[in-house]
Amino acid sequence: MRTVLLFLAVACLILGTGFLQSWNSALLILNMGLISAVMALGVNLQWGLAGLFNVGVMGFVALGGLAVVLISMPPVGAAWQAGGGGILLGLVLGAATVVAAVLVWARTSGKLRGWGTAAVLLIGMAIYRMVLDPSVAAVEAVDPALAGYLGGLGLPVLFAWPVGGLLAAGAAYVIGKTALGLRSDYLAIATLGIAEIVIAILKNEDWLARGVKNVIGLPRPVPYEVDLQNDPGFVESAAGFGLDATTASTLYVKIEYGLLFAVVLIVLLVLSQLALNSPWGRMMRAIRDNETAARAMGKDVTARHLQVFVLGSAICGIAGAMMTTLDGQLTPGSYQPLRYTFLIWVMVIVGGSGNNLGAVLGGFLIWFLWVQVEPMGHLFMSLITAGMADGSWLKAHLLDSVQHMRLLTMGIILLLVLRLNPRGLLPER
Amino acid sequence: MDLLNGVVALSNFVLIPAIAYGSQLALGALGVTLIYGILRFSNFAHGDTMAVGTMVTVLATWGLQAMGVSFGPLPTALLAIPIGILGATALVLLTDKYVYKFYRAQKAKPVILVIVSMGVMFIYNGLTRIIIGPDDYRFADGERFVISARTFRDMTGLQEGLALRTTQVITVITAIAVVAALFWFLNKTRTGKSMRAFSDNEDLALLSGINPERVVLVTWLIVASLATVAGVLYGLDKSFKAFTYFQLLLPIFAAAIVGGLGSPLGAIAGGFVIAFSEVGITYAWKKVLVYLMPPALEPDGLVQILSTEYKFAVSFVILVIVLLFRPTGLFRGKSL
Amino acid sequence: MSGNPYQNDRGNKDASITNPHGQGTLTASGTQARAMPGGDGPFLIGDTMTGGYGKTGPDILHGCTIAVEKGEIAVIVGPNGAGKSTAMKAVFGMLDLREGRVLLDGEDITQLTPQARVRHGMGFVPQTSNIFTSMTVEENLEMGAFIREDDFRRTMEQVYELFPILRDKRNQPAGELSGGQRQQVAVGRALMTQPKVLMLDEPTAGVSPIVMDELFDRIIEVARTGISILMVEQNARQALEIADKGYVLVQGANGYSGTGKDLLADPDVRRSFLGG
Repeated sequence: MRTVLLFLAVACLILGTGFLQSWNSALLILNMGLISAVMALGVNLQWGLAGLFNVGVMGFVALGGLAVVLISMPPVGAAWQAGGGGILLGLVLGAATVVAAVLVWARTSGKLRGWGTAAVLLIGMAIYRMVLDPSVAAVEAVDPALAGYLGGLGLPVLFAWPVGGLLAAGAAYVIGKTALGLRSDYLAIATLGIAEIVIAILKNEDWLARGVKNVIGLPRPVPYEVDLQNDPGFVESAAGFGLDATTASTLYVKIEYGLLFAVVLIVLLVLSQLALNSPWGRMMRAIRDNETAARAMGKDVTARHLQVFVLGSAICGIAGAMMTTLDGQLTPGSYQPLRYTFLIWVMVIVGGSGNNLGAVLGGFLIWFLWVQVEPMGHLFMSLITAGMADGSWLKAHLLDSVQHMRLLTMGIILLLVLRLNPRGLLPER
Repeated sequence: MDLLNGVVALSNFVLIPAIAYGSQLALGALGVTLIYGILRFSNFAHGDTMAVGTMVTVLATWGLQAMGVSFGPLPTALLAIPIGILGATALVLLTDKYVYKFYRAQKAKPVILVIVSMGVMFIYNGLTRIIIGPDDYRFADGERFVISARTFRDMTGLQEGLALRTTQVITVITAIAVVAALFWFLNKTRTGKSMRAFSDNEDLALLSGINPERVVLVTWLIVASLATVAGVLYGLDKSFKAFTYFQLLLPIFAAAIVGGLGSPLGAIAGGFVIAFSEVGITYAWKKVLVYLMPPALEPDGLVQILSTEYKFAVSFVILVIVLLFRPTGLFRGKSL
Repeated sequence: MSGNPYQNDRGNKDASITNPHGQGTLTASGTQARAMPGGDGPFLIGDTMTGGYGKTGPDILHGCTIAVEKGEIAVIVGPNGAGKSTAMKAVFGMLDLREGRVLLDGEDITQLTPQARVRHGMGFVPQTSNIFTSMTVEENLEMGAFIREDDFRRTMEQVYELFPILRDKRNQPAGELSGGQRQQVAVGRALMTQPKVLMLDEPTAGVSPIVMDELFDRIIEVARTGISILMVEQNARQALEIADKGYVLVQGANGYSGTGKDLLADPDVRRSFLGG
């Protein structure tokens, strides 16, 4: 009952946006809300179900974004000719170096161990750089204004969503294997670090996804507005609703996106709910609530934790791919931990840790506030500064700082919920 | 001669910057480690605490400059630091009173406090951006160099110059003084010892009559001061930008963990380990190597292992390596 | 799962963000810092105590009475799960008492927090985690004297005389000492407050028989200086030999009580608890 009411309330907020501001912004909030809900679902799986503290959500989201470029953009033939093979060879050599170093470490002992491993790493790195660097330079020299990277596979963009999940899952496996395998777990710092590394790679490896030059004009799974406006049939039916073609086309595109996202969210939500109530879910909760007893019953806690961590990260990856698809561009410079990691945490905590519906609700609600705090803050600041003289320094400063109000507000919301209602809006049953 | 040139180049581009950066990280990591040892959680708001302290210092510096006060060849900001510390302390103590204290009374689990510190981080971050704005500010004034590269070259006749910036010297001297004072306090004074006792064994500390609220209060005082000093030194050396300070969280955490969370000595060691690896791995070694290698072997590339953008990656990799081989960190951590 | 959402950490054991080391577990029942006037009676008495952990927890003690006179040694023995440690914790204010009261030196201290009881002259040595492992022996003793405003060097000297080995090791971290030496540090720390009553929870747990005998000797010495000793012991026979008064607890209630010698001679006690 509480669930229904709260979801209705959020729906009213979004509808209210539609009536008071514009349907375009309402749909924009709805679409990003859907994506946020998916991210929150992923984090809730990790934190709510297994108590794993992932502060690297941003990294997995960005990997999902990378997947969109790698899958959907057409390959740049000239770049592949210039250095595609070299780059692939270089990457293989780099991986081989790491494997060889690990093998040397495992197979030898004594003094030889340290020096041997170091030598393998050093020589391997040198060869790797010698192979990779010229190819990278060659690739980046190919039409740098438009390309300068290898491009993708040219497949339909929807493929990128599961692939984004897989990329994120792969990264999560490596991190989890390392950080959860240590004597005590160090997952938080590991995820914090890996997120920064993913972003650094995206920003710097221009051959991969053009770095800070951004990849724009990603293919879309839905029609383009211009095409719709040129389609007489569409214009006619739009007129039937009493809308001009431009507005109708933007709305139509957003609704289609929303439907696609909603399908993903519903599928993931249903799967999460089924998982939660399955024997597997019960086992996870048993591990969470009493790890010692679970271990004593022969459960491999570390392996289960790794499993949940990989699954949750994969969901974040899918959401990241969806988001990049919606944006139509990959802009590595725009990934910031406050927005992509900690805001997701606010969603989960506010919604209710351990409750999938809560996470979804939190995703919508917090996203709505994130967007709407700025106009509200503007109103607020206008009221405060109404009495001040125009052109006064303080007034200008206060009005300028409105855009930073949202950080402050999110912090206050998080603290209030934690204090007054620590189980969240929809507590775990 | 070549050897000397090589050594000078090494000092100029690697050693001196790394020592200065290491001191800044060490001061930051000390704050994190103190909170971890006594309040038993990792404070995500630490980077932003540094930002707040620095912001107040910057504002005070501007005020002093507007009044025409200067500190001779030294940066005016040094005069403003006490005001910054006061500001940071006031904010941190208010936060403790209205936020953290409640959770202590509830005997909340540390991980809940971690989440609480996220909320505090949002608030501090927002406050900083609202008050001073998100832009880059330089506030170092006074004499820029103790020795400039040109003077050094003229003095020694070497090809390579050695520049020693005033801020670097100040950083190292201040860091040494602050660390010495902190260690003296923790190991020699009654209050300091009671903090270590509380960190080691809370129950027994209570049974010995140590007042936990007082321990926590003193801890916040020290942490706010350390954060402000670290932040101001970093800002003098580079510049002040709210977002950069937030990002410092990763190398600071890495330093604290590498050294062994909860161990002050470890925090310092960790700070330098991280700083030296960051600077060393992202530096183009060609400049040094041309002097040290025979001409036949001179490298043609820049001999830069990773581009500077990857400096956060370096701290992380060092962290993983240390943890793989020594899960408790360099210095066995956990209690002060 | 605990009922308190603030204490629900979802099984998180992430060492990079949380530090469980040395976290407080102490539960205190009392709230007051001031004692009420009591009445006459033994120097320290936990009188007909009934209660358990928490306001709602099941009763563990059922009308249990423990008393000790000035300068005497009282020992609580009994089978596993009889509530020996619980009885001692009740006297020290770490248990919610539904009935009964605790009197010390003519004052009613039932409502006092454990910390306040320390200030009223009770010294408590827990069974585990009873020293500051990362601090030196001398710092441990100093922390023991934390509440004292006067010069405590004389007391420290007395502790060193009682446990000479501690003087040699005074600059070593206490965590590096052997089990027996650690117990000496623990007792020494509690003595630094100059308590009227010293309460020891299984002081000889995990130490060798030789060390145990020596510890008991030291405890007798402490009692001779006029400090009352209340002690829970697993090694019932040896403990009763030095006891002025012994309590055999059975399921949270007084089973047998009497002087140590009487209990050792009592055929029932011998058969049930001392193995014949």
